[in-house]
Amino acid sequence: MKKSIKYIALCFAALPLLNSCKKDFLDVNPTGETSLESNYYKNAAEIFKGVVAAYDPLGSETGGTYSSKLGLLNTASDDCGVGGGSATDQASWAVWDNFTISVGQGPQGDLWGRNYTGIYRANLILNKVDGVTDLSSAMKGRYIAEMKVLRAYYYFDLVRLFKNVPLITAPIPTADIFNLAQAKPEAIYAQIEKDLQEAIAEANLPATVPASTEGGRMTKGTAKALLGKVFLYEKKWAEAAGQLADVNGTPGGTSAYGYKLLSNFGDIFKPTNKFNSESIFEIVHTAQARQDWGGWGAFEGNVMVQMVGPRNYGGPTYVTGWGFCPITMDLVNVIKNDPRYPYTIANVDSIVAATAGGAYEKGYQNTGYFIEKYAPKLQYRSSLGGLGDLNYPYDYIEIRLADTYLMEAEALTQSNANAGRAKQLMDAVRARVGLPGVPVTLQSIYNERRLELATEGHRFFDLIRTNTAAAALTGFTAGKNEVLPIPLSEINNTKLVQNAGY
Amino acid sequence: MLCFAFFAMATIMAQNQNVTGKVTDEKGAGIPKASIIVKGGKTGTSTDENGMFNLSVPGAAKSILISSQGYIVKEVAITGVPLNITLTTSVSSMEEVVVVGYGTQKKSVVTGAISSVKASDIDNQPIVRIEQFLQGRASGVTIAASSGQPGASSTLRIRGTTSINNSDPLYVVDGIPVDIGGIDYLNPNDIESIEVLKDAASAAIYGARAASGVILVTTKKGKAGKTMLSYNGYYGTQAPSKKLDLLNATEYATLQNEASLASGGGIKFANPSALGKGTDWQALIFNNSAKIQDHEISISGGNDKSTFYTSFGLFSQEGIVASDISDYKRFNFRFNGIHKINKWFSLGTNIGYSHIKSLGIGNTNSEYGGPLSSAINLDPITQSIITDPSIIASSYGLGSTGGLPAVTDGMGNPYGISKIVGQEMANPLAYIKNRIGNYGWSDNLVGNAFVEIEPVKGLKIRSNLGAKIAFWGNESFSPTFYLNASTSNDVNSFYTENDRGLNYTWENTASYTRNIAAHHFTALVGTGAYLDNYLSRRSGVTYRKLSVNTFEEAKSMNFAVLPANVLGWGGDYTQHKVSSVYGRLTYDYAEKYLFTGIMRRDGSSRFGSNNKYGYFPSGSVGWVASKENFWPENKVVSFFKLRGSYGVTGNDNIGDFQYVSTITGGKNYTFGATDLYTIGNSPSGLANPDLKWEQTSQTDIGFEASMFKNWTVSFDWYQKKTTGMLRVVDVPLYVGVGGYTGNVCSMDNTGFELELGFHKTISNVKLELKGNVSHLKNNVSFLGKGIEFLGGGASLQSTQYPLSRIAIGHPIGAFYGFERLGIFQNQGEVDSYVSKAGAKIQPVAKPGDIKWADLNADGTINADDRTFIGDPTPDWSYGFTASAALKGFDLVVFGQGVAGNDIFNGLRRLDIANANWTTKALNRWTGAGTSNDFPRLTNDDPNHNYSNPSTFYLEKGDYFRIKVLQLGYTLPFALTNKVLVQKVRVYVSGNNLLTLTNYSGYDPEIGGSSYGIDRGYYPQARSFTAGLNLTF
Repeated sequence: MKKSIKYIALCFAALPLLNSCKKDFLDVNPTGETSLESNYYKNAAEIFKGVVAAYDPLGSETGGTYSSKLGLLNTASDDCGVGGGSATDQASWAVWDNFTISVGQGPQGDLWGRNYTGIYRANLILNKVDGVTDLSSAMKGRYIAEMKVLRAYYYFDLVRLFKNVPLITAPIPTADIFNLAQAKPEAIYAQIEKDLQEAIAEANLPATVPASTEGGRMTKGTAKALLGKVFLYEKKWAEAAGQLADVNGTPGGTSAYGYKLLSNFGDIFKPTNKFNSESIFEIVHTAQARQDWGGWGAFEGNVMVQMVGPRNYGGPTYVTGWGFCPITMDLVNVIKNDPRYPYTIANVDSIVAATAGGAYEKGYQNTGYFIEKYAPKLQYRSSLGGLGDLNYPYDYIEIRLADTYLMEAEALTQSNANAGRAKQLMDAVRARVGLPGVPVTLQSIYNERRLELATEGHRFFDLIRTNTAAAALTGFTAGKNEVLPIPLSEINNTKLVQNAGY
Repeated sequence: MLCFAFFAMATIMAQNQNVTGKVTDEKGAGIPKASIIVKGGKTGTSTDENGMFNLSVPGAAKSILISSQGYIVKEVAITGVPLNITLTTSVSSMEEVVVVGYGTQKKSVVTGAISSVKASDIDNQPIVRIEQFLQGRASGVTIAASSGQPGASSTLRIRGTTSINNSDPLYVVDGIPVDIGGIDYLNPNDIESIEVLKDAASAAIYGARAASGVILVTTKKGKAGKTMLSYNGYYGTQAPSKKLDLLNATEYATLQNEASLASGGGIKFANPSALGKGTDWQALIFNNSAKIQDHEISISGGNDKSTFYTSFGLFSQEGIVASDISDYKRFNFRFNGIHKINKWFSLGTNIGYSHIKSLGIGNTNSEYGGPLSSAINLDPITQSIITDPSIIASSYGLGSTGGLPAVTDGMGNPYGISKIVGQEMANPLAYIKNRIGNYGWSDNLVGNAFVEIEPVKGLKIRSNLGAKIAFWGNESFSPTFYLNASTSNDVNSFYTENDRGLNYTWENTASYTRNIAAHHFTALVGTGAYLDNYLSRRSGVTYRKLSVNTFEEAKSMNFAVLPANVLGWGGDYTQHKVSSVYGRLTYDYAEKYLFTGIMRRDGSSRFGSNNKYGYFPSGSVGWVASKENFWPENKVVSFFKLRGSYGVTGNDNIGDFQYVSTITGGKNYTFGATDLYTIGNSPSGLANPDLKWEQTSQTDIGFEASMFKNWTVSFDWYQKKTTGMLRVVDVPLYVGVGGYTGNVCSMDNTGFELELGFHKTISNVKLELKGNVSHLKNNVSFLGKGIEFLGGGASLQSTQYPLSRIAIGHPIGAFYGFERLGIFQNQGEVDSYVSKAGAKIQPVAKPGDIKWADLNADGTINADDRTFIGDPTPDWSYGFTASAALKGFDLVVFGQGVAGNDIFNGLRRLDIANANWTTKALNRWTGAGTSNDFPRLTNDDPNHNYSNPSTFYLEKGDYFRIKVLQLGYTLPFALTNKVLVQKVRVYVSGNNLLTLTNYSGYDPEIGGSSYGIDRGYYPQARSFTAGLNLTF
């Protein structure tokens, strides 16, 4: 009896030791897709996932709120109002429509954040790519060039939207996070030019990519078009014309990078006609992600498409949307007799009037006219799964050939060089839609840009860079509203300085 | 009872003798169920309904011990004649034993702040979940149901909100920590007692998981003696206690016209009065006779070696809203057994199993549709069901519904689709039809097994192994449907999800008790290892484009689905591990001077590499002044104990991998015309190897007293400070990646609690009163260097600003918005509301608009004019139970309430201009002098009358509710005994009979994630039940 007591007591006394002897008991490793940053980016597959992540912010549709860059730029321009269900449906959009934007309210946070997210991820790849063991030098060269083009693109957005932004080209040590200052805009432009020049010089950056599998990846053509555009914004007319001439080639013909105007204007924006010969820089959206609201912040579909559809719509062709970005009567009046009108503007009033039982809800600032290039259409609505509203597969075309034609024509006209080519470029754009040529002046180019590129996100920047915003935009304060306020989160506890006027 | 069994170790003698007698209270009334045990022996029985007993005892037995809850234990010598035994009430209840962590303690020597609720306090009340067990019955515990949906959980806070992150208490069932998500496996009928460890000194023994308090649940055990078979059950009906007063069709159309005209639109409805009353959507979704029933059979008993308790329970409840898709059923089984192998070795098991099937309306407090929100916001003009063939032909054909089928009733008539109110506000009948069949389920098996040895007297060594095995999931079908222009589904799908979880705990303790003269020592040491989410996985499959269109047809899966239409997913749950060592020393001198000291060390897989282990000490002292010689024998205060404690606890409920930078997905992009949707990964944020637990330190000072013979009083004052609450340290967005999680914020809770008890028998009426009241003040004290408030806050669709704000110097979740100065009655008032510079402060305002307070006096109304306008957390919460028993009749009233909180009434969707209003809108401003509270109606709202969060939406949340009113009758024993039934009690009970409140919504008790914000809250039911208790 006594023995057994002692034996059992001993067993119990030993039990606690079992718990604590296993030193690694508390270690838990992440499972599945997740791993630690410290041991990631070691092989070609991992670095490629990082490359994809650097592309990801291009298509950002939501952040703190809806923040489609194109939707917002349309709202800010004189092509569209803000719309929605009421004046306050999307307050951060409405304040850019009427320029009551303030430090506390506006779209600046999301627009700032998405670009710096892209820059961080591009910097990370540029920083990590040397540590990858199984990557060919050709792939490495290509990734580096792609990251530089993307970084240039993100900085170009930042410098245009905010003007005074910090320049970050490598991961920031934690200790330095709060000590950065803004760079001069010229320094940002210099970095953009440098990145793009280096990318263009990289032999492994392809001139073109196969549209079916790699459409949307950065190419030499993309880099050159972007660089030409950057030069144009810097008013470096000759350099702009030089880069854009390479992109454009012979007006009306196929350029060295495979670009050619589509013969049918209406085909440019069809989701079934992605990466067509006119598209130079395309931001891709897909229905494959089959997302629902849980995807907020990482939508892969084009949510702006849903936003700009007529509200509670019952009728043919379109699907109901949320009534944002209604076309202003100003644009309607300018374009209504142009052959591009039906491809640019959806006249929903006349459609429902012609349909038995047709109806839609007239939202805020309703004019009856809606964006057509990105209108939610029944035939393109996804039925793959997820919410159709959130999975429209429409791509944004950030730069297309008609744009680079007109930009080159503008650069030539500004520098009084090669007026003949400028005319050819303008004529090609107009001839495509069956319009006769017009005399080339800066004003006629600007007019053409508005008609050709309406609701494609260029108008607001064009008004700013041509110094015509105050005249065109109600509520616009010159000397202030050319740029957005630096987001509040960036000013708190940092060395950043707010933009003038805010 | 168990204590007696432990001491029952005498050897059996050959000869027996019979002892009979009657146990009565001071008034001579028989005490039923009193326990009779032979002193120093193992034989026992209990008294019948009249207090009579008959016990065969060994011949050598000298005396018996008689005990009953609420009475002082009495020893009576065996004399050979029938005994008349009178028990004295133990008014103080200080002889009670309370459960503390890893042991029990006599209540009179407890030095911590512990509230106890016993099974007898909730007998026969319709309690579905453990939280309701405590609501109104334990001081310092604030409880608000997250919805009235059957089976819904409640928000339970012990001494306020402890953390801005997670303030859920730790549940420990029979010594085994059980995660809060699975706690509904527990059948409240199986609970013997619940102890709430409130102060740090009591809770510190649970270390890094005890910051928000600990709830110790003890399930029922068998008693030695006769085997008891009991049935307890009730059946009843439930109904909503309130409907909102919404506008009828005529009123609605009139006001719509007015709002439209005011914003420059035209008349929308030419002849409002022709529309009549229209559709009452609420009447269509509420069920005034929803069923509720509960049945439980328990068998318990045992002998001196083994005792057992086993029970089977069946509970089912229909929801009062959309009963077809709101329902809860639970089946329970429990077996608890203890077996003593010899006098120093015992072992036992506690095993509970439950199966739950629940149907939910999907949206219990959200402004985004669902039956309630839709019923509130839909126009009353649209018909609920369309029967007119011409309308069906013109508006309900596929051409009018986007090529998708309109939802129809059983007769094939389409449910009406509003052309006036859209968005998520769909016809609730159609919404219900689409969800019929969808359900969630869970199977939980929670159990533990222990062995305990006592190798030398006073030394107990115990090893306790526990596990929870859970399986849960759901199945749902989404047909193709068209509810309205913005709510439709063009691809049907069937979804099935299967999850499983496995948690282990293993604890080993040794405790040693020794008394040296009047010095009483107990020392406890122990270790614990806890592993959550071992082999825990979740997975789901969606089958799309099915050839069937109802849940019933789909669930069989008896048809082919193309591989491309089968989408599966799955993943592991992250393991959570805790490794602990702990010790406690309890000492008292003559039960007069009391001391307890605790130290626990916890290591957690959630802590950063630089802070893997945390130490949690506490100390408490007590002084029973009434035991001092100088304490005069008096009738005013017969017992008085003063106590004080200080301790430190932690919260490791901080999420996994907060301390490292992990690579996360979701940064995907697509390439190529062939839609190559490509996975992208990048770091989630910056790393923080210093990350540790959130720490709470608490000081508690209290006293307990027995007074005026019949009264007990317990009072506590406490101050609780939480530091190092996790917050993502915001780095500027230009860093390009999320910040790191750091131990940053601090918050204080200060409060006091009072518990009162009274019981007395006045001329055969047994009266018992219990009451408690708690006061709480919460204050956020630190949010990071230079940070006055956190961004974000609760949101409501289309308000200009968030509704609430976490800010220094204010309670958590305080409502934040504009203050009103009234309504501009005429243009003159608008024009004369000017800044110092003489400019109009509200230049766009029109008569009838709200006059906003320009709090910063800058001459404009903007974001900077907002202030703290209310608090969703009650300052006061209280409850009382009053019971009276006379002869066979018993009556119980239980009431509970809160005071000092505000509710944000967000029932109407702001971005839906055509949404219906409550009848309060009839009193809107329509001209000078008509209203100084409710602004004019206008669709464009340039003055933000409606879109500014403001005091306009706030209402007082105070309420007092009669939760239970129950009348029972126990049939005379003489009658029932003839059919061999010990006890027959029948009762009727009314629940939530009366709620006194000024709040205008359905229900002022709004818990859950939308705490204190009413977006269309699923109200709690008012119910009437009739029940039966049988004991054989």
